[in-house]
Amino acid sequence: MPNVPLEMIWWVLGLPLIGFLLQAFLGKKIIDTLGHRYGKKIVGTMAVLPIAAAFLLGIGITANLAQFPPGERNVVLTLFSWIEIMSIKIPFEVVVDPLSMTMVLIITGIGSLIHLYATGYMGDEKDYSRFFTYLNLFIACMLILVLGNNLALLFIGWEGVGVCSYLLIGFWFKDLNNSRAANKAFIVNRIGDVGLTLGMFILVLMMAGNAERLGLTDGRWLSYDVLLPNMVEVFKDQPFLTATVALLLFVGACGKSAQFPLYLWLPDAMAGPTPVSALIHAATMVTAGVFLLNRMSVLFELSPFASAIIAIIGAFTALFAALIAFGQTDIKKVLAYSTVSQLGFMFIACGAGAYWAGMFHVTTHAFFKALLFLGAGAVIYAMAHEQDMRKYGNLLKYLPITGACMLVAWVAISGLAVPFLFGFAGFYSKETILGGALAGQHAIAGGINLGMIAGWVGLLVAMLTAFYMTRMTWMTFFGKQERWRLADGPSHDHGDSHHADHEAHDENAHHAHEDHGPDVHGFFYTEAEMARRAELEEHDHHHDIEPTHEPKEVGPAMWIPLAVLGVLSVIGGWFLYSGDRFKKWLYPNGLTVLPPEVVPKYPEWETLLMFLSIGAALAGVLLGWHFYKKGLPEREGWDLAKWHPFRRAAANQFHYDQKMVDGSLKGGAQLGEMLNRTDKGFIDGMVNGIAWLTGLFGNLLKRFQTGNVRWYAAMMLLGGIGVLGYLWWVALKLGGA
Amino acid sequence: MSGVPMTWYLMLGAFMFTCGAVGVIVRRNPVVVFMCIELMLNAVNLTFLTFAAYSPSLLPLGPELTQSWMSGQMMVIFVMAVAAAEVAVGLGIIMAIYRLRDEVDLDSMSAMRG
Repeated sequence: MPNVPLEMIWWVLGLPLIGFLLQAFLGKKIIDTLGHRYGKKIVGTMAVLPIAAAFLLGIGITANLAQFPPGERNVVLTLFSWIEIMSIKIPFEVVVDPLSMTMVLIITGIGSLIHLYATGYMGDEKDYSRFFTYLNLFIACMLILVLGNNLALLFIGWEGVGVCSYLLIGFWFKDLNNSRAANKAFIVNRIGDVGLTLGMFILVLMMAGNAERLGLTDGRWLSYDVLLPNMVEVFKDQPFLTATVALLLFVGACGKSAQFPLYLWLPDAMAGPTPVSALIHAATMVTAGVFLLNRMSVLFELSPFASAIIAIIGAFTALFAALIAFGQTDIKKVLAYSTVSQLGFMFIACGAGAYWAGMFHVTTHAFFKALLFLGAGAVIYAMAHEQDMRKYGNLLKYLPITGACMLVAWVAISGLAVPFLFGFAGFYSKETILGGALAGQHAIAGGINLGMIAGWVGLLVAMLTAFYMTRMTWMTFFGKQERWRLADGPSHDHGDSHHADHEAHDENAHHAHEDHGPDVHGFFYTEAEMARRAELEEHDHHHDIEPTHEPKEVGPAMWIPLAVLGVLSVIGGWFLYSGDRFKKWLYPNGLTVLPPEVVPKYPEWETLLMFLSIGAALAGVLLGWHFYKKGLPEREGWDLAKWHPFRRAAANQFHYDQKMVDGSLKGGAQLGEMLNRTDKGFIDGMVNGIAWLTGLFGNLLKRFQTGNVRWYAAMMLLGGIGVLGYLWWVALKLGGA
Repeated sequence: MSGVPMTWYLMLGAFMFTCGAVGVIVRRNPVVVFMCIELMLNAVNLTFLTFAAYSPSLLPLGPELTQSWMSGQMMVIFVMAVAAAEVAVGLGIIMAIYRLRDEVDLDSMSAMRG
């Protein structure tokens, strides 16, 4: 491989940006001039090429970086000095080091595959160029996030991907639900950003405050090469402050990476096109939180308390999302909750101190989750946009390539392996995480080893993961019944879906009938207008799938990425794991604060853990096969009625989403009410009070204005006597004494 | 001036002034008020003249200080002139008020109240 100079990293950043600009300004024109077939081909190529080129450059740069000695793989390149105010400097600088290059490879590699896939998936879309504009912009922003050498650039990328997520989720914005989902994603993200921003501020304060003591003159308080080496010195002996900053950064990561309680945007984000779900909500954006934790790992190493909180929240999220996934019937929603659950795993790893395991899981998860989403997209595409799994069945016969790739992904995410010999991607990364969590001594809060608890919960969730993924795979690809052909609807659960539909409709109607008061400014659509628009939408809506529909295998633009990702899911984990390759790549000198003995995998446990992991995965798969092998349990007379309340609750996210939205709306209204009363009562009261005081004095003085001339004369006399008396007294004092 | 002590004149002046002052405050008819004002002015005149007349015998000073004693008498001339002018104006105002209101009662002219 020719030696690519590290400076080419600017091209890695710049190519997607150039692609974005070209698409934005020329994309629509090209499609309009050259017609749909050729125009779309050109626009698609214009979209994929920059990302693919960036990927190749990334490989070259990584190869170059690997030639550096292990401790020195950290090169900072500056483009220009961006902010220089008084004592703080924030240049536009990038860092080329193993962590950022790993993320660059994931982003551009999987990104280019998904771009290729999207050229096929969005083929019938009339807003073709707009889609790729947003997608390229997303890649550019994500690259800024991972490549930036300071937290400010990370934040730019952070916000940028938030915006792109909003734009892409709400891509089909004419449907109000999509716009609402996009809003939800962005707003919840912003709530997390409060934590991130506050954390950044405290870091700047601490660094600037300690600058004298540490002899730092640079002023680049947010840059990693200034922040990270000095962090131990700055934060030692301050457990409370360290924990606070760590938890604030974690809040930011929660918002972006969908941890409890800020996960509720991710399932709604499935309203966007499937390539978006694959890229943003599986492989890249949601891993930004894990990336942040890896970057700032020193900080988290210094605070066992914060790490414990992170581990336990990760474990809880993983469990919660896994349980919810059992109640979902929409294939994309299952995958969404699966993503939330797997992200929980990554946070368990970071909480336990095994940061590299978190990144390892990011990588393998990117492989198989992107594969799952793209495969699901292929299935949806082949089934005329039908997403309800209760209408699938026996699809392996019709979609062999897609099915095979999805099976590979299913095995990968379940974490199946042949003991001592070979495992699929998910097995290695999950085992590493669980090993780090169960054996780690770092995540201890209040004397309880929360990391270990998180590890056991993780083992349970691994089993549940295998279980619900088997459920999904079996319902979709296996079974003899092709349920969309059945005349009487998908299942006895029809009541469920009707109920859900009615709920959604009622929600819409409820929103329409919300009492906004008299609509003075004409902000809201009238009833008639809403009805007309709903009718127009019906025409745009896909119709329900016909019983005579014959699914056809998808085109090469779509199954090539599937195949590539399938191969990666099979060998990727094994390749990165053997010889601790990934760990040595990311953390060649071990962790900064924690001694290596703190996060070992106890050698004597290793075998036991391997068997436990495989056992959990197999148990899950077997359970899933047992319940679903003959199709949907209810149809086969299984008495699962007692599970109905659970599934209905699970389908509704255990009412968390409802309560959260209602609560925040009501809470916001109450807050507004209270502030209104304060404003009127207190502040206006103070202002009015001053006027009242003036009036009081005026009233007092008014008594002197009697209008009576004689009284005035008397007052004049008294005044005169007073002045004379005073003068006499002064004269006496001066002269007499 | 022989025999009559200065203080007697001064006391007379003070008594007249007091009567005038009380009258200005107590009486309601503006004409009577003016008369009391005149009384006050005359009391003041008397006081000035008393000092002008009695001072030289108390102060054995040379002829260059004659001016200061004479200023008392000059003051009296000024006061008498001012008093006359003021009465002219004041009576004119009273006539105007009478024409307007058909009464002249100081207590009922309290439109500047408040």
